[in-house]
Amino acid sequence: MNCSRVRKTLPLLAGTDLAAGKARRIEKHLEGCPGCRKEAEELRAALAGVRAIADRETLDWPEGEWKGLMARVRSGKPGPRPVPVFSAIPRKAWATGFIIVLALGIAALILRIILSPPAPSLLSETIAATAIQPSRDLMKDEVLSRGYPQDVPFRIRREQGALDRTVLAAGHSPEKTRQDLMSMTLISQETGLRVHWTFNRNFEWEEKKQ
Amino acid sequence: MVELVLGGRTEAFEPLVTPYRKLLLTLAYRLCRNIEEAKEISQETLMRAFRYLGSFDRKRSFKNWLLQIEMNVWRSLGERAADEGALRELATRNTLEDPQEQLAGKEAREMLFSCLDGLSPREREVFLLRDIEGRSVKETAGVLRTSAISVRVHLSRARDKIRKLIKERFPELLEGQR
Repeated sequence: MNCSRVRKTLPLLAGTDLAAGKARRIEKHLEGCPGCRKEAEELRAALAGVRAIADRETLDWPEGEWKGLMARVRSGKPGPRPVPVFSAIPRKAWATGFIIVLALGIAALILRIILSPPAPSLLSETIAATAIQPSRDLMKDEVLSRGYPQDVPFRIRREQGALDRTVLAAGHSPEKTRQDLMSMTLISQETGLRVHWTFNRNFEWEEKKQ
Repeated sequence: MVELVLGGRTEAFEPLVTPYRKLLLTLAYRLCRNIEEAKEISQETLMRAFRYLGSFDRKRSFKNWLLQIEMNVWRSLGERAADEGALRELATRNTLEDPQEQLAGKEAREMLFSCLDGLSPREREVFLLRDIEGRSVKETAGVLRTSAISVRVHLSRARDKIRKLIKERFPELLEGQR
């Protein structure tokens, strides 16, 4: 043990408040360390000195005052201390209640996880699972020939980077539910600027501002 | 004797608490350093002890129970005593019968209070209970309603402060004890 650690324990050693094993180790250190030994002796002497002073001076009640005090005390009525409501409930009861509430909470959480329907799959997962992989642009004629013009608001020509201004009616095709294009229009309420976004099946987008 | 008091024989309370009358008054005095306030604390302690005697756990030490009440009273009353310097002044004016004894007592009291002055309230409580009243660490913890670890920590600090104070102000006391 080094001196710094030993000195921290010296006040407890001086009052014999250390465990026997630890006290022996400290005493052993003190045998070979004059600095620590001196501090330990000072502590013991200081404690003995203060105790000696304290022993010399004890106070007592004057007999008349004591008798008067006892008479006043006895004029009251002895009984149990009023116990506050919360402390009247023992700690074990509090602990049991807490554990029950915690267990119910965990059980409710587990049941919710088990009984809740599975979360809808992500859009990216849906696209990846699609049988027809998007690999080309949809041309107006092609769209029309497939018989579901309502699905496509307008066609895209990727090569030219410009939109065909032909706008087709929106709506669902009765015989085909798969949608090849998706469009979105944002209108600024302040400036009236309209931004029209169109995504194909690859989520490649074209933008048109009005 | 507790049963007698609770059974209605209130005169049995005096022999029950008489062995502790000096202890309660002296400890209160060392805590507050004012004889009048010490009497007030002791009186309130005995009043509460009588009033709540029914809640005393017979398995516990009656002395420690009284000390615990006194510490509670001291803490509730001690908050009023802000000016410790004034209390100390009052305390040193406390007179004893014999002038020589009075002088010696005053010196001893000054020395003791000088040491206790350097401690925080909690350190003072722990030091007085453990080192002056001779309660064990566990009993001290019970009286102060704290843990034994906390008692050890405060006790260690208190003793180290006392050593430094005595070395600085009363080195003759160290020499006399070696």
